[in-house]
Amino acid sequence: MRGSRLMRLFGLLVALIVLAAACGGDDPSSEDSTDTTDEVSDEPILIGASLPLSGDFSEPGKGVQNGYEVWKEHVNASGGLLGRPVELVIRDDASDPNTVVADYERLITVDQVDLLFGPFSSFLTIPSSEVAEKYEMVFVEPAGSAPDVFNRGLQYLFYASTAVAQDQGNYWAEWVVSLPEGERPTTAAYPIVDDPFAGAAADGIREILEAGGIETVYREIYPPEQTNFGPIAAKIADSEAEIVVGGTIFEDAVGLVRSMQELDYQPKAVFLNTAPATTPGFKDALGDAVEGIYGPSSWASSLTTPGNAEFVETYTEMFGSEPAEDAAQGYTTGQVMAAAVEAVGSTDDQDAIRDYLRANSFETIEGTLSFDDTGAPSGGGYIILQYQDGEIVYLLPEDVATGTPVYPKPEW
Amino acid sequence: MSSHLLLQAVVLGVLTGGVYSLWSAGLTLIFGVMRVVNIAHAAFLVLSAYLSWFAYTELGIDPLLSLFATVPAFFVVGVLIQRLLLARLRDHVTMMSVLLTTALAITIEGSLGMLWTGSHRGIEISYSTSSFSLAGISFPSDQVIGFVLAALTFFALFMLLRHSRYGKALRATIQNPDAASLLGIKTTTIQGIGFGLGLATAAVGGLILGLIHPFFPATHWAWIARIMAIIVLGGLGSVTGAALAALLMGVIESVVLVTLSPVWAGMIFYLVLAGTLVFRPHGFFGGRLAERF
Repeated sequence: MRGSRLMRLFGLLVALIVLAAACGGDDPSSEDSTDTTDEVSDEPILIGASLPLSGDFSEPGKGVQNGYEVWKEHVNASGGLLGRPVELVIRDDASDPNTVVADYERLITVDQVDLLFGPFSSFLTIPSSEVAEKYEMVFVEPAGSAPDVFNRGLQYLFYASTAVAQDQGNYWAEWVVSLPEGERPTTAAYPIVDDPFAGAAADGIREILEAGGIETVYREIYPPEQTNFGPIAAKIADSEAEIVVGGTIFEDAVGLVRSMQELDYQPKAVFLNTAPATTPGFKDALGDAVEGIYGPSSWASSLTTPGNAEFVETYTEMFGSEPAEDAAQGYTTGQVMAAAVEAVGSTDDQDAIRDYLRANSFETIEGTLSFDDTGAPSGGGYIILQYQDGEIVYLLPEDVATGTPVYPKPEW
Repeated sequence: MSSHLLLQAVVLGVLTGGVYSLWSAGLTLIFGVMRVVNIAHAAFLVLSAYLSWFAYTELGIDPLLSLFATVPAFFVVGVLIQRLLLARLRDHVTMMSVLLTTALAITIEGSLGMLWTGSHRGIEISYSTSSFSLAGISFPSDQVIGFVLAALTFFALFMLLRHSRYGKALRATIQNPDAASLLGIKTTTIQGIGFGLGLATAAVGGLILGLIHPFFPATHWAWIARIMAIIVLGGLGSVTGAALAALLMGVIESVVLVTLSPVWAGMIFYLVLAGTLVFRPHGFFGGRLAERF
């Protein structure tokens, strides 16, 4: 008796859900008809993105998400985009390249978002940008900077940052080469993780250093799942390289530094990709060993670009800590997209947005950005930072510098 | 390639191998005693690393002291998992346990992520990056501590299996469960304790992992593949075989890292796994499945 009543209740529920779904399906068309009578709609603009909120890239993925949120907060507080409020639809791809593709398919076809933002990392940007291309939707992304992002002839992809992977260490490499003879190192080692982004970044530096006469005595690529760094560090130490340039991500950077430290190998300078700008994780993991380590960053809290101070302030209010680089990249992505959409005056004509992005330059918190035909930014390099007395100090370029390099680095 | 570098690589390899041997001893014991492939073994290692990390950074408890809590707790959890979950699989235990333990691994990973986010963690203690050197060869303190801890745990496990009545019963259960139960051995109780013991070693192993490597919830997948390869090489179910295979793989990995390249070093585990399955499916040290320890 009870069972059958439950069943009936269940049936009723199912019927209700089906009915609700049917009404939901009707909704857009009915609102469309009101759209034609009223030019300005209150209907929110939906912006879709998939981010690695779990798995390998969860730390930076979360940072980008926070950046998107701060941007949304600012846009909505100042009257929205095209007078309409902005809503974010964010999916978690678990750092998995198959999931990220499925996520964007879903964002476009099921959620029917108006605009797209990119995921985090070149690794996830490469497959997901193909989806955006297929549906001819503009794909402004915060973190895909490897050569393979740009060499596939994509028309709708734009990397909202100041430099592509191979240029990110330019300022540092040029500074090393400019050191007076005697101080200038003569040999360098390049441990590199097998990742489309990290390899390009380290090799960009290597080309400049080699041209400046600094000999490469070690260059090896290790797999992303590498955990045992003792022997790698032993081989680098054995090469007696004077400086180390690591094409690293995070975990590997920590493993490398610890192993070099344990072998009492003391290079004059250590430049690592990505990890040093990951705050506070990098310092938490390494303690005093961070002293003197260099790294690149697309952004600095000390930048005097328009809106940067407000970004830092709102971020700190919303999340209780200072933003890191990844959040700034998310925010910059929003700024670039918003400027183009406002200029075009609609989200429907994606081709017009694309053409506008290609032809103009954009004021962002990272600086003024413009794009070439592949969607790569035409900037000179990333800001160079160094850990001094446990704090991040910005060294290059000179207009953002908050300190001068400590070279050679103190022993660890 | 200097001979000094080669010697350094061998030393590092032995230290790493010692830690691998503790990790794989628990896994191979669990397999031996109940034919269960515990995919969640490395997830338990990571769980233990997190617990020690939490006790140290949040509660200020020395990581070594936290073992007094984690080891018994893991033992009890192991017995409970065997009693409440694995025992229900009955005849299908070998196949179905793969699904069950994979689910356990994912549950642990997800819970750790919920609790402590996906950020990288590490147990950072004052002596963890110091080292001492002998004849120009460096011995990193954290790895030496790990090696000694692993050796002690391994020795205790070995003595227990070899010289106690319980150990005899457990070995009998591994060799032939039916005959063992005919002799009056309560094989189900033994299996529960076996699983508990396996996880208890994971509690120690996890602390060592946390001392040496940075970790985050999903790190366990990289480790489980590695220790699986080791226990196959050592002969499934053979604790001594696993230890020898682990030492051997540690040294081979380390030497390949300095002589060939890191890519080959990572691959060597899988080449050895494939090679063993083709030429010596019972492993090189275990003989027939776990006939001896």
